[in-house]
Amino acid sequence: MGGCMHRIAITLFATLLAIYSAFTPLWAQERSAVRQGFELAPQSGKTILLLRPTVRVGAQSTGGLFEPNADWTDQARANIDAALATMQSKLGNVVVAAPEPYGEDARKVAEHMSLFAAVSRAVIEYQFFVGNRLPTKKRDNKADVFDWSLGTGVADLPGAQNADYALFIYNQDQYGSTGRKMLQIVGLVAGVGVTSGQHIGYAGLIDLKSGDLLWLNADFQMGGDVREAEGAHKRVRQLLEDFPGSTMPKDAAPAETKP
Amino acid sequence: MISRALCVLGALSLLVAGEAQAQPAPPQPVLPPPYAGAYQPQGVDEIGLWREMDEDERVLAQSDLAIRDEALTGYVRKVLCDTVGADRCGAVRIYVLRQPEFNASMAPNGTMQVFTGLLLRVKSEAELGAVLGHEFGHFEARHSLGQLKAWRSGTDVLAWAFVLGSLAPSYNVARSYRNLELSVLGNLYRFGRDQERDADRLGIGYLNGSALRPQAASEVWQKLMGEYEASARAKGLKKPRFDRIAFTASHPPQAERAGYLAELARPDAATRDDGAERYRAALAPWLGMFLDDQIKLNDFGASEYLLQALAQGGWTAQLHHARGELYRMRGAPRDLVNAAQFYADAVALDPAHAEANRGLGLSLLKTGQAGAGQAALRRYLELKPDASDARLIGMMIPAGEPQP
Amino acid sequence: MIRPLFHLSAALALTSLLLAPVSAQAHKLRERGAPVAVADTPLTVTPSRDWNRLDVRLGKNTEHWTVDGEQLNDVIFFAAIEPGKPLVRERSKKREPLPKFTAATLLVEVPELLETTWRTYKHSGSFQMTGIEPGRFLGADGVHFTYEFVDQDELPRRGEARAAIIAGKLYMISFEAPRLHYFAAGVEDFRKLADSARLP
Repeated sequence: MGGCMHRIAITLFATLLAIYSAFTPLWAQERSAVRQGFELAPQSGKTILLLRPTVRVGAQSTGGLFEPNADWTDQARANIDAALATMQSKLGNVVVAAPEPYGEDARKVAEHMSLFAAVSRAVIEYQFFVGNRLPTKKRDNKADVFDWSLGTGVADLPGAQNADYALFIYNQDQYGSTGRKMLQIVGLVAGVGVTSGQHIGYAGLIDLKSGDLLWLNADFQMGGDVREAEGAHKRVRQLLEDFPGSTMPKDAAPAETKP
Repeated sequence: MISRALCVLGALSLLVAGEAQAQPAPPQPVLPPPYAGAYQPQGVDEIGLWREMDEDERVLAQSDLAIRDEALTGYVRKVLCDTVGADRCGAVRIYVLRQPEFNASMAPNGTMQVFTGLLLRVKSEAELGAVLGHEFGHFEARHSLGQLKAWRSGTDVLAWAFVLGSLAPSYNVARSYRNLELSVLGNLYRFGRDQERDADRLGIGYLNGSALRPQAASEVWQKLMGEYEASARAKGLKKPRFDRIAFTASHPPQAERAGYLAELARPDAATRDDGAERYRAALAPWLGMFLDDQIKLNDFGASEYLLQALAQGGWTAQLHHARGELYRMRGAPRDLVNAAQFYADAVALDPAHAEANRGLGLSLLKTGQAGAGQAALRRYLELKPDASDARLIGMMIPAGEPQP
Repeated sequence: MIRPLFHLSAALALTSLLLAPVSAQAHKLRERGAPVAVADTPLTVTPSRDWNRLDVRLGKNTEHWTVDGEQLNDVIFFAAIEPGKPLVRERSKKREPLPKFTAATLLVEVPELLETTWRTYKHSGSFQMTGIEPGRFLGADGVHFTYEFVDQDELPRRGEARAAIIAGKLYMISFEAPRLHYFAAGVEDFRKLADSARLP
């Protein structure tokens, strides 16, 4: 690649970054939705199957690169697991961890996880996101309809026979490094918004009989530092706030996350 | 301390020598350094990388693109072990992915991904070992870690693309722009030229120490460049964009590379076995599929070049058929005439080749030879009455003729 | 060992992707029972249910329709493709040419044209044709075919399509959806849509 192309590339990407950064706030929405008519009373005797949450934690370099940090990820996973465990009573119903799948079961779980991710993104892009709603989803919003599904195949997931619902959790944290924070300040001066750190989470509750998505909470700017027990507790509370039947208090607006 | 400094100086002088002139390094046979034992990640960055790779490997193991065939995977592992030695290859987990590109990579935690496009292009165990050994060299020299650090400190625009891609992966992106590097399967690393040279040297060192012919390493690159040139020529391009092609981007110039690899190969090892026969035999059950994947990439020049290379051992019905498919799919009037000939050659060698009869029939029909075309299609249906397009083909044969 | 992550057209693609949400409500409703023209061609369809037309164009003669988002259900119309043209817009005519529909293309070769187009466009080795049958489309003898593939998001999908060559031009309509639940849930609506397709 010649030097000229390189310069063009840099200019293009600088523009791209400026554009992207400017749009970042549009994605920093928290939205949750419940399937119309769905109610889950606390202490109803229902069982919730918790699938292995996807947890990724790392640092974000000046260039925004995600640097995975295994210690942080291990801590976060342990903290999130502990937080989830202690919140069972607050969730209102029994939570059971899904058994580790092997072979064909593992393939099924993976496919369902991929589908959950696709459905979540579709919900966010085409029903939640103000600038991009599909006309039919806009109509649904007006009618308070939230109608999404993973299909009845969920009944075949390991552990599904003994549970009523499945809880899917996805969590990714990138903590802004010092360099990124500097860029943030510079960006503010230049009039370009640059977020430091990114804290994405979505949690979904699936009906194991029908596959219906009963509840989805999607947040692109979550609070709580998951590397610490208290922060993970806060994060899980945020992910699961508005969880049907829960007695957890609703969090205030997402707080600043510590580096 | 002093000896290490001398070592570093020695290595540096070799590198400097390589940079200062376009000529290959002095002809010293290079032996791999003593193996340090089981590889454990150290430091925050490396442990973090391994954790990320472990998570990715869980997904990889379940991937629908992974070819889970024990014979094939076992054979690739055998070639790796023959090249780098059993004590090194024990830590490696091999995944063969159905991706029609020349590429292989190795993650810092020992996951090696081998694309089917690579398996199509190498013709012997020595050639395959050369590529796998090169990848293993990156692993043993822990280049990925240095690269992460380089990414972090560099102003490389490529990092932006990675970030943006990783922050917004979506089906839409996949549909409108597929970039293999951004996917969990394609978490491949881009190394600097010096690191590539280091990996080359380690790779040739392994080969020198193995029972395989090390001269094959240089030949792999020569053939690859030939392929890219053929591809560019067929597209009417002046020269291939090597910097756009996997496995060559950021690499040392090809002539230099082929040169020093040839020089570093032990001269007394030139008479060793290539393992070409064994390789052909192991690949045989897969050749049809890999050829089909290649031809359907619509890269006429590259596919024709590869077919010619494969045919150096003699044209088979399978190769004639593949060539027929290539020409028929491009479909210009002269192509169709050629295609008919190639299919006919296939059928002459193997009259029971159903697909070749189909291709022959379609090509003849399209060049105005309806009678002969229909006859060939009829033979296709006789040979393969349960073909997925049997009914549709049947409608192309006039009624009254014998139909299955 | 990889090709460079940077690719000028990739930058443009990403730019347009990121800019897309900003453009005002460009996805349009396609109402049940209302005949509507496709891709500014004489081809019309009458949906049996409400669909959304996505503001995303793979080519001049294409349209994408969806119910829930293209990740979950994706109807693509290819309308009046002329001989010498590819099915979708090429990223680079010279460097990454796509296979072309030609005057000599036979109906039985159309499924392979779609297969090769997707394989080339996505640089993918994942595409399996599972069935090719004669069938009516647009009031003419056409081809119905089915297939499977896996894209970047690791979610296996199934596809079903119908095509016909009319007055020397290619007309095709495909439906792609995850094989887990979504394909079966949407394929009947697709078939009704295809059945309703008309040329004057």
